[in-house]
Amino acid sequence: MTSVFLVDDHEIVRRGIADLINAESDLDVVGEAATIKQAFGRIAATLPDVAVLDVRLPDGSGLDLCRDIRSAHPTVVCLMLTGYDDDEASYTAVLAGAAGYVLKDIRGQNLIDSIRRVARGEILIDRSVPLRIVSTATTPSDPTTDLSMRERQVLELIAEGLTNRQIGERLELAEKTVKNYVSGLLGKLGMERRTQAAVYRTRHRDDS
Amino acid sequence: MDSDDVELVFPDVPRSRLDLAIRDLLGSAQEVLATEGRLRSLLKASRVVADELELPVVLRTIVEAAVELVGARYGAIGVVNQEGMLEQFIHVGMPDELIAHIGHLPEGHGVLGALIADPRPIRLAHLSDDPRSVGFPDGHPAMDSFVGVPVRVRGEVYGNLYLTEQLSGQFSAEDEQLLSALAATAGAAIDHARLYDESERRRKWSAASAEITATLLSDDSEQSLSILAERVAVLADADVVCVVVPLGAENMSVEMAGGALGERFVGSTFPEQGTLAAQALASRQPILADRGDDSAAAPELSIGPTMAVPLTSADNPMGVLTVSRRAGSTRFTVTDLDMAAEFATQAGLALRLAAGRRDAQTLALLEDRGRIARDLHDHVIQRLFGAGLSLQAVAGSISNPTVRAKLDEQIESLDDAIAEIRTAIFTMTAQASARPLSLRHRVIDTVGEMAALFSDSPQLSFGGAIDLLVPTALSDDIIAVVREGLTNVARHANCTQASVAIVATTTSVTVVVEDDGVGLDPQEQRRSGLSNLDTRAANHGGGCLLTARVPSGTTLSWSVPLSQGSEA
Repeated sequence: MTSVFLVDDHEIVRRGIADLINAESDLDVVGEAATIKQAFGRIAATLPDVAVLDVRLPDGSGLDLCRDIRSAHPTVVCLMLTGYDDDEASYTAVLAGAAGYVLKDIRGQNLIDSIRRVARGEILIDRSVPLRIVSTATTPSDPTTDLSMRERQVLELIAEGLTNRQIGERLELAEKTVKNYVSGLLGKLGMERRTQAAVYRTRHRDDS
Repeated sequence: MDSDDVELVFPDVPRSRLDLAIRDLLGSAQEVLATEGRLRSLLKASRVVADELELPVVLRTIVEAAVELVGARYGAIGVVNQEGMLEQFIHVGMPDELIAHIGHLPEGHGVLGALIADPRPIRLAHLSDDPRSVGFPDGHPAMDSFVGVPVRVRGEVYGNLYLTEQLSGQFSAEDEQLLSALAATAGAAIDHARLYDESERRRKWSAASAEITATLLSDDSEQSLSILAERVAVLADADVVCVVVPLGAENMSVEMAGGALGERFVGSTFPEQGTLAAQALASRQPILADRGDDSAAAPELSIGPTMAVPLTSADNPMGVLTVSRRAGSTRFTVTDLDMAAEFATQAGLALRLAAGRRDAQTLALLEDRGRIARDLHDHVIQRLFGAGLSLQAVAGSISNPTVRAKLDEQIESLDDAIAEIRTAIFTMTAQASARPLSLRHRVIDTVGEMAALFSDSPQLSFGGAIDLLVPTALSDDIIAVVREGLTNVARHANCTQASVAIVATTTSVTVVVEDDGVGLDPQEQRRSGLSNLDTRAANHGGGCLLTARVPSGTTLSWSVPLSQGSEA
């Protein structure tokens, strides 16, 4: 029996997914949360096999939550659930250190199938994707993704699948410091980077 | 009667003395009268000259007055430039057809040149006898007697007055003196006219400046630059005014041009090395030159007197305003340069303000779009997704196949809606992020452009992390496939609905263009557009397939493999 924890701020979504999961004989929803604050404590208490996390939560980013869970409880594998597109989701999952992502599509057994696979230890993100993200992000073509030396190092280790704690050990940095770098990276590469990039360009157009 | 005769006889000597005395007296009186008359003429001429304000009128009036004053057939005033050549030559007495026949005005050689070189009056009985004479061009009327005097303005030689062909033979010393006196008045009148002209021009520049500022603040950038260029051309009496901007590291391009010759310059580019524009941009100082930059690429674009004025905003030079006249035209003055520079500063400020305001609007728009996209994601998609999940759960517990099929259909359309919203979110959050455009943006733009060919816009869907997985090298091909695929459909299919789907996996990328039209025409199986697509696919080790759809229409499927780890 695979235990699953759901984090999504929309009750109707949690309800639907829980029904879907509970309809499967080998899967069981052991807990739910609507916020990061609730989620972290409840996951620590239930230690599920798989956590399904929405990327946007009212009190922060699902990515941060994912990295925190991975650092604190490396046995819990995470699946990101996203309403954004595949490109965005790929970034999200890689940066979050998740085992995979699921788009919010209603049909198909994609979610159930993905939960089963990551529970078995599969990584659903192709190995080439993190490499592409690193190479795209470290190509200095866009001022908004102009990463510092440290940010690049951290990104490369994220792409290798390391948790914040492991990155801290590798680079001899406090975990909290790593977290700050990750937040910086998420700002530069994450969810709304394109809007930010557009705004950035507009703001800096006359200074170039 | 004889005695009467005797009585009337006066001694010879006294009589001749008296005669002489009376004759002298009469002569002197006549001379006084004549001189007085000439002085009156001088006064009248002076007054006429001083009455005028417009410089061209003043110069012409001076020549006309001089001709009348000394009784010459021909008269002219030559304005001398810094190189000692004649810049302007205003003449009277010469018929137009003769001028046309001779073809050019004097440039300042021969006797005219002598007067320029040494500004003291010259008076000659016979022009041709003078060793300095260089003769006349073909068709020029004969000119014999000559007098020339310099015209000074504030102590500096402005030009010379030339008179030829005294109607009764020779010019007298008195003529020369009268002309010199008239020249002094003329100098004052020219000075006066120049001051008036300058103040008038300043007024016009400053009025135009205010007007342009208002225009720049209310219009879009391209149009305002064009208005700017046109206005400056009029104000500076220029033949071409260019707004020149840096293009890359070593080139400059003419972004906008105004004036009679403007059109020839718009859009031209040139290496900035050594050009006036580059100097003005680098030094941020206005530059005055006798001739413009020669364009090696287009020699016919070479121009005459030029001002290059930097267009700066705050500290940033945005470009250069070059103001030019045709080769051989009157040069610009320091005053012109002053006014143009002041104008450019104003315009730069206004452009900066306008750009700032546009940026603020863009920013507001972007932020608005970002907010709408967030709302769509956070609320609309979640609700559709949640509702869909509930429907699906209900559907699972329903045994009636008809009802179940209906529910499945609804769920399917909810999924389609979510996919469309996802694409909308992508479009909204990223549209303005310009260079380099991602592949998905280019596809969206291309389909948008092609939409005009269809009654209903083609449906567009994306699958997989396209931007991340498809290498940049494939982008142009994929855009071409979308464009040609849709063009063929629009041209031949006669369909009601077309769709484009692009799916990327880590191993391949596939473009599918479908329609519900008339289907395949066996006569036209291999259209050139398709063989082109075949080639594009083959170049990347892929293939292209056109198949019939059921019940109607065609499916174009174009697919190429992606090598593992190739960079996006």
